[in-house]
Amino acid sequence: MMAGMPDVDVFSALANPVRREILMRLRTGPQGASELAHGFDIGRPAVSEHLQVLRKARLIREQPRGRERYYHLDPRPLSKVHAWIEAFDKYWQKRLAVLEEVLNEEAKKS
Amino acid sequence: MTAAAVIRAERVYPHPPGAIWKALTDPELHARWWAAGDVRPIVGHRFELDMGKWGKQACQVLNVEPERLFRYRFATGNLDTIITWELVPEGQGTRLRLTHEGFDLDSPLSRQAFEGMKGGWPKVLQRLEAAAVGPD
Repeated sequence: MMAGMPDVDVFSALANPVRREILMRLRTGPQGASELAHGFDIGRPAVSEHLQVLRKARLIREQPRGRERYYHLDPRPLSKVHAWIEAFDKYWQKRLAVLEEVLNEEAKKS
Repeated sequence: MTAAAVIRAERVYPHPPGAIWKALTDPELHARWWAAGDVRPIVGHRFELDMGKWGKQACQVLNVEPERLFRYRFATGNLDTIITWELVPEGQGTRLRLTHEGFDLDSPLSRQAFEGMKGGWPKVLQRLEAAAVGPD
């Protein structure tokens, strides 16, 4: 399980709002499973399932501590998403630049 | 992380809102800076934008506030996103704000579109270089 490709791709992992919220909460530091389940009204088994998806996408790491499992954020796979967003950003920046050329051409006509 | 599914871009133009509004809503002008299609500033109007190798994308106008706001569904049944253009007067010119939202990160088509856009950059760059000898 430790080597090779993640079992779940990062886009699928992020497609769910509960999982995004879990990641947001882990930004401030690791949290235990029961603490994490708190505040979601979907029940602990459902939260556990989401945690497993995030773990398989390598976005979080699991660490047993006594009877609790603790979860750590690992943001590295997010670079893929960042690249995706950057592509759209650049696409639109180019379109907006071409728009200016068209506006200039139109302004010259009148 | 929710912001991951929203793309924003903006640019200030030395042109009045009316000129930009026309470029957003007039098919002839629209085709020159983005895509050909029967775009019209009428709420409920359905049109298609010809995105070249990604095919014609179904769109539908959602909101129209002349020279202020233009919002439409973009690529319905495909990317399923919403595009909003906002025009804000700024000095002698206009600030144009784009919000492109509603991406389903889980959809293979979203990712395909991303791949397509990556491939399209060099061509767009060439066009920009060619246009750069013009005014400004």
